[in-house]
Amino acid sequence: MRHGFLFILSSLLLLSACESYDCTLYNYVGMYGTFYKDGAVVQLNDTLTITSGKSGRMLLNGALYETSINIPLSYWQEEDTLVFRVNGNGYILRDSVWITKTNQVHYESPDCPTTFFHTIQSVRSTHLFIKDITVIRSSVNYETTDNLQIHLYSSSD
Amino acid sequence: MKRPIICRYICILLLISLAPFSLQAKKPKQKVEKAPLFGGVAVSADLVGFAMKAVGAKYANMEVGARINIRDKYFPVGELGIGDCHRDGAETNNTFSATAPYMRFGMDYNFNKKHNGNRLFGIFRYGISRFKYDIGNPSFTDPVYGTTRPIELKGQKATGQWIEIGAGAETKLWRFIRLGWSLRYKFRISQKHPDGGEPYFIPGFGKNDSNGWGGTVNLIFDLGQGSFKSSKSKGETKTNK
Repeated sequence: MRHGFLFILSSLLLLSACESYDCTLYNYVGMYGTFYKDGAVVQLNDTLTITSGKSGRMLLNGALYETSINIPLSYWQEEDTLVFRVNGNGYILRDSVWITKTNQVHYESPDCPTTFFHTIQSVRSTHLFIKDITVIRSSVNYETTDNLQIHLYSSSD
Repeated sequence: MKRPIICRYICILLLISLAPFSLQAKKPKQKVEKAPLFGGVAVSADLVGFAMKAVGAKYANMEVGARINIRDKYFPVGELGIGDCHRDGAETNNTFSATAPYMRFGMDYNFNKKHNGNRLFGIFRYGISRFKYDIGNPSFTDPVYGTTRPIELKGQKATGQWIEIGAGAETKLWRFIRLGWSLRYKFRISQKHPDGGEPYFIPGFGKNDSNGWGGTVNLIFDLGQGSFKSSKSKGETKTNK
């Protein structure tokens, strides 16, 4: 009799065991880039604004003294167009950057937010103030290390 | 933090429920009888899995098993089941779905040397499941760019392998019918899945994690001389080593 009671009680406890959600805490996926001039990291003295070319959505609004950026990429588009706008003292410069990529669903569980990882395939740009862009890490995921080196024209160019 | 507390209660209950066996072990020896080499075959069904399915739990592992009784001490066991999980995220609209078979093989070792109808087991299992799962979201919105599209990843192929160790007890209810109970600690030894995302559930293992706890309540039908000495017999026997 005592055994039977313990069996039933234990079974109920097992059935009612609670569940915890182990979602990734830092789940921001962004493309990281650092500005370089003459091979060294450089700080922009002008205001930098980055918008999405097609939708016009603001991705970075009037940032000052930036040495690096991190920009979310679109979940569905195969190519993102980013417009970099630099507001200086009496001048505005615009460059467009096209990022071709693949998009991979990153699903953790039904209770955790789904996100997308990306693999950068190629990057090209106009060259008003951006001299060149080098892809140094093509995977865009939870890692926060640089994906791009954005080389700017030096004053001697 | 609630899970460790519940596990602690379960362990305390396990110790309490096993106490009668340890007390019985201290009774004086009356007669020594050697258990037969082949003590028969038993088949069983896990009632927990069917109960979880019946009450609409997030997932359920419904299984049956068979085992051989060797010297009333060693019990090679095979378990075959179907794991079933259909889960909708409450706030995310994410869905997960998998229904697939799984297998476990292993051994039970009976620590109770008396053949009084009760058994106290140490449990070891190796489990494997090759399965397909579907994940999706009917209306998934890109939070930055604002585009909404459905996500549908169907038929993702995965494999999970795991080890279970634990303890169990069983007692004779009536003639060849037994009731058994086990508590198992499971740890995953490998999993393979596509890049899109790991499965939320592994059939036979439960919610996918590096480790976890599980339990069974088995209804067992002993088809041989597993309990060759009836519990009605007051003269308990002890197996020769």
